[in-house]
Amino acid sequence: MAGLELLTDQGYRLDGRKATELRKVQARMGVFAQADGSAYLEQGNTKALAVVYGPHEMRGSRSRALHDRAVINCQYSMATFSTAERKRRPHGDRKSTEMSLHLKQTFEAAVMTQLFPRSQIDIYVKILQSDGGNYSVCVNAATLAVIDAGIPMRDYVCACTVGFVDETPLADLCYAEESGGVSSLALALLPRGGQIALVQMDARLHQDHLETLIEAAMTACKGVSKVLDEVVRQHLQEASVLSRE
Amino acid sequence: MIKTEKVLHLKSSRGRKVRVVREHYLRERVPCFSSLCQADCENDGKVLPGDLTHYVVPDAEVVVNYLEVLEFPELQGLVITQTACQALHSKGRRFCDRLRNLLKDQRHDCVLFANEFQEYSYCPREKAESQEKWQTRCVYAAAVWYYNHLAGLMNVVMITEDEEAVSRFSSLNSGVFVIRVQDYLQNFWPELKAAHELYSSITQVLQEKEGEDSQREFSEHLPAEVLEAGIKSGRFIQGTLNVSKHRPQNEAFITNQGLSTKNPGAEAPLRSSFLLAEPAPTLDNLWEFWAHSYFRFSASDLSSGVLVFGSKSRNRAVHGDMVVVELLPKSEWRGKVTVLTEGQVDEKSGDDSETKAMPTGRVVGILQRNWRDYVVTFPPRDGTQSQSRNSQRILVIPWDRRIPKIRISTQQADALQDHRVVVRIDSWPSTSLYPNGHSVRVLGRAGELETEVQTILMENCIHVPPFSEAQLREMPVNSSENPWTVDPAEAAERRDLRETHLVFSIDPRGCEDVDDTLSVRSLAGGKLLELGVHIADVTHFVSEGSLTDLEARSRATTYYLADRRHDMLPSVLSADLCSLLGGVDRYAMSVLWELDAQSLAVTKVWFGRTLIRSSYQLHYELAQALLNGEEAEVPELARVDPEERDTKLTELTEALEKLTHIGRHLRAQRDRGGALELEGVEVRAQLDEEKNITALVPRQPLEVHETVAECMIYANHWVARKIQEVFPYQALLRRHPPPRQELFSQLVDTAQARGFAMDTRTNKALADSLDRAVDPQDPLVNRLLRMMATQAMSQAVYFSTGAQPEDQFYHYGLALDRYTHFTSPIRRYADMVVHRLLTAALQVEQGAEPAKTPAGNKDLEELAEHINNKNRAAQRAQNLSMGLFQCLFFKERDPEIDPRCVADGIIYAIRDNGVLVFIPEYGVKGPVYMRNKEGRVVSTGPDGTCEWQTGSVRRYTDHIITTSGSGSATFRLFDHITVRISVLCTNCHADSLNLEVINNKLHRSAAPQQPSSQGRNQLVQEVVRLAEEAQEKAAQRPKLPREEREFQQSKVPNLYSILEEIRELALMDLETASRVCPTTA
Repeated sequence: MAGLELLTDQGYRLDGRKATELRKVQARMGVFAQADGSAYLEQGNTKALAVVYGPHEMRGSRSRALHDRAVINCQYSMATFSTAERKRRPHGDRKSTEMSLHLKQTFEAAVMTQLFPRSQIDIYVKILQSDGGNYSVCVNAATLAVIDAGIPMRDYVCACTVGFVDETPLADLCYAEESGGVSSLALALLPRGGQIALVQMDARLHQDHLETLIEAAMTACKGVSKVLDEVVRQHLQEASVLSRE
Repeated sequence: MIKTEKVLHLKSSRGRKVRVVREHYLRERVPCFSSLCQADCENDGKVLPGDLTHYVVPDAEVVVNYLEVLEFPELQGLVITQTACQALHSKGRRFCDRLRNLLKDQRHDCVLFANEFQEYSYCPREKAESQEKWQTRCVYAAAVWYYNHLAGLMNVVMITEDEEAVSRFSSLNSGVFVIRVQDYLQNFWPELKAAHELYSSITQVLQEKEGEDSQREFSEHLPAEVLEAGIKSGRFIQGTLNVSKHRPQNEAFITNQGLSTKNPGAEAPLRSSFLLAEPAPTLDNLWEFWAHSYFRFSASDLSSGVLVFGSKSRNRAVHGDMVVVELLPKSEWRGKVTVLTEGQVDEKSGDDSETKAMPTGRVVGILQRNWRDYVVTFPPRDGTQSQSRNSQRILVIPWDRRIPKIRISTQQADALQDHRVVVRIDSWPSTSLYPNGHSVRVLGRAGELETEVQTILMENCIHVPPFSEAQLREMPVNSSENPWTVDPAEAAERRDLRETHLVFSIDPRGCEDVDDTLSVRSLAGGKLLELGVHIADVTHFVSEGSLTDLEARSRATTYYLADRRHDMLPSVLSADLCSLLGGVDRYAMSVLWELDAQSLAVTKVWFGRTLIRSSYQLHYELAQALLNGEEAEVPELARVDPEERDTKLTELTEALEKLTHIGRHLRAQRDRGGALELEGVEVRAQLDEEKNITALVPRQPLEVHETVAECMIYANHWVARKIQEVFPYQALLRRHPPPRQELFSQLVDTAQARGFAMDTRTNKALADSLDRAVDPQDPLVNRLLRMMATQAMSQAVYFSTGAQPEDQFYHYGLALDRYTHFTSPIRRYADMVVHRLLTAALQVEQGAEPAKTPAGNKDLEELAEHINNKNRAAQRAQNLSMGLFQCLFFKERDPEIDPRCVADGIIYAIRDNGVLVFIPEYGVKGPVYMRNKEGRVVSTGPDGTCEWQTGSVRRYTDHIITTSGSGSATFRLFDHITVRISVLCTNCHADSLNLEVINNKLHRSAAPQQPSSQGRNQLVQEVVRLAEEAQEKAAQRPKLPREEREFQQSKVPNLYSILEEIRELALMDLETASRVCPTTA
């Protein structure tokens, strides 16, 4: 079986991008009136819907409440129709639980939770179509939703995956690349200060390459943040036009 | 960033049809790689010239089927589309790699155009459009784009095999022509005969394929997904198929080599290539990963290999293929046959002569074909009669016995009778007993010297075309009217040693190309010694990436055959400007050590580029004579007045003495570490014979040989340390892995027969026990034991430091922790790489950025692999050509009368029906049968003469007994017997020597053993002479150039290099080992 050539000698990837180019990002905020905040984000063919409720009183057991800050509750799920082969359980499997945990950690680092002691913020993310980089798309979508909900954050949280092929880092992997045996790294960044909210990598990589890989991931994240910023500004403009009327 | 459209693709994976949506990004600017480009494309790398009449764009189908035709370097302006490239993917990786090499090759005029990523040349596939039609449309769109992009400055020709496309597209655009391949070749390249023939031969094969009958001969291979799953779960085993040389019909082995080379030890620093090969363990597949590694453990029991018995279970795999085997149940396991060579024993009697059963399996699938070009022989007329009803198809017999017969279609069958032809295998459908192939090139009539030598080169994939004009144009000029001089600017940057150092070289007599020189002097009033090794600075003349460099890289080494040599570099460099001749200024790369005069400990090392002038060009005998204080005539001092001569002579002698002192010290130092003296006096001579420079090597090696060799090893060692320090993950080193203990069993057993105990646990223990195992009566015993020890060892190999864990760097034979090759850049490419690395390392150390970043670990590992392969091929070719000359030599004589066909042999191994014998006089090893095909055995008369009688043979561990009517005869290990040498002629394969015992006593004339070297040398000369005479008589071809015959005089440029080569290649080819002792192979 001739393995897929992930990066041609001329520097093209499977889908025609160059190594550092991101997929096309399109997003809308406020797609879901019932929630406090919501956003829909497409990054290439990976599409996610994020919904935010809160901050509100603790639901369920009050004992989980923290006296100095808000609890962030994340739930990640994938639509049954999101992958090429139908998925049986939409959420609750180990992968989803892990992903929920990662999202929670990311947003605990970014949201100014100390402003809302003894309360709770719920973030629900659903992958509608999955084509690689699910984690980063979720983070990006959730960021927009949190902003839409008006919850103060330190900065945008932007996430991006990078892979390492032929000594070159590839930004924003698609599914074909992820499954092609690339060692990939997901990174969530607070771009303005350059702080890293979360790094995740469960492949093997020589330590010498780690730095270049993280460097590439940060550049990619900054690219994403520009797009998100534009989306937010556009949304605000529309919203202010509407409210003026 | 330009991003647009997404496109739907349909795709099936894991057997099921799955609909997958993939993105597809298009962009406006895709480089066109043409020098005519009007739009400022970013064309870096290869660019098509603008002075052609047209560019050619082959259709996908053409690339897939006729890639070989496109490989002709005469075809210029080739634009390969991405569509075609992807179509080739479906045909397998081998073809992709070939195309990629073609595209990378600077000498070849072709580029890749990423048409599917270009906004205007991309066409989405329409509903219900067949793949072929779509590909053709894409390629046409690309051709049109090219024409428009170059603003009509260049005509574009699209070649296709699709009639419909020709009629549909040809009239659409004025500058873009669509024609068939055949028309193209006829119109544009009518004089390129070879391409036409190749084209028609491939076409014929393609037509044949369509009309195949469908009677199934083999079971189908399993699909790739099943194989992959099977390998992971441990049900199947993956490995390289190795067909036995002796029983190619039935026996083949799977070696797990595939696993070990691909994943160099699980604890190795993990590099990206490794990561690619294996998916990372995520939570989901963690269990699978564990299971996988568990099964791999259990697979290590199979380290001795898996036997594949019979052609049915081999299932169309060809020698060298990467295959997947399934183990058979234990009840069906069988052992290998230890009886001597093929045809002697049929399968029925096989059971009792087999070793214990080993894992046996059958091939269920082939991961990767490793077909190369094969040399075949067309059978004579009568052989083809069975095929007469269909005279176009002929079964031809490959020269390599391990390759099955190949069926080819040709109309030239009559003309090609008894000719050697290069063919390629195309396919092997399950309906056919033999693979299908097509002919590529005719080499000549079988049996002619020139043809046979070409065959040997071809079979080892050695391509040595003469250096091209362009390559020679890169070379500096040095002629009498335009002499080469030292460039003052260059001289300023180098350390000038011309005045300060006494530099001299020691080489064999009459050597032309000197690549190493030495110097030694006292410093600081005698407290310090300065030792210097100065190596020819080849990389100054050959810059990386130049045409000469590319050629040298693909050759990797200078090839020495019995009667000729093929240089790695053009002779203006190898014999002149890079050669450190006496009395002229030359550039050099130097290593200078400051040693404490008393303890000889190193206090300082200096590496760098220098300018030297060698004062003396000594030869070994002269140097030794000076050392011994004998009267000797130094040619350089002949014209100097006597007084000055004396002072100069003392100066030189002193230097030599210091050098010898240092050499002894270094040697002793390595001996303590456990260095093996495999080149022990006798073995050295023996291997020298194979190098065929024996006239230069005296039987008693002089101490000065060793001194020079030690200095070179020391230089290599220090350079290795240096480059590894600076480039810990991308230095090219050479390692010699410790041998597997079980391979020593034959050595231990054999030595025991003579009462010697062998301790093989460490290299030191082995060296000591080999030194002890000396039979005072028979010096050959020690020589044979050393030879066996050598065969048990693996070969030293080049590697990139990033690809191996640090504890694997050890050089077993030399007992050094790091080693590389630095001292012979004229004839080894690895040395040139090391020179460049050293230069870069020095630049890095001075804080400067290296002019060119050294190759990464992956590239370097690839290069090391390439050089290793080429070295092995060179070694094989050398041995084969020596064998060829032996056969030609004995062919001319009648074994019954000629006294030279009778020689003394010594038994060194026992087999079931015979013994293996070594003949020191000719350096020949071979089997001697005790039982012949009719079942008769050897019996000896009272005077020791042997004849064939009915009887039986019994084998014991250290002797073999034949019993017949006239009594019994015993042959023990290390017995001397007299054998008669004759030639077994085969038309299709290489001839081989046949040995026959005629007396169980020592051969009479063998007692005053003449230097074996002479026999060898005469042999080659005589064969060459005969071949020439034959040619003169026939007056068919021009005479062999005189130089070629003269080459044999100075085969190898200097003795140190030979010694070094021996030291490492003494760790001989496993090929040789397997030929001699089939059971340990």
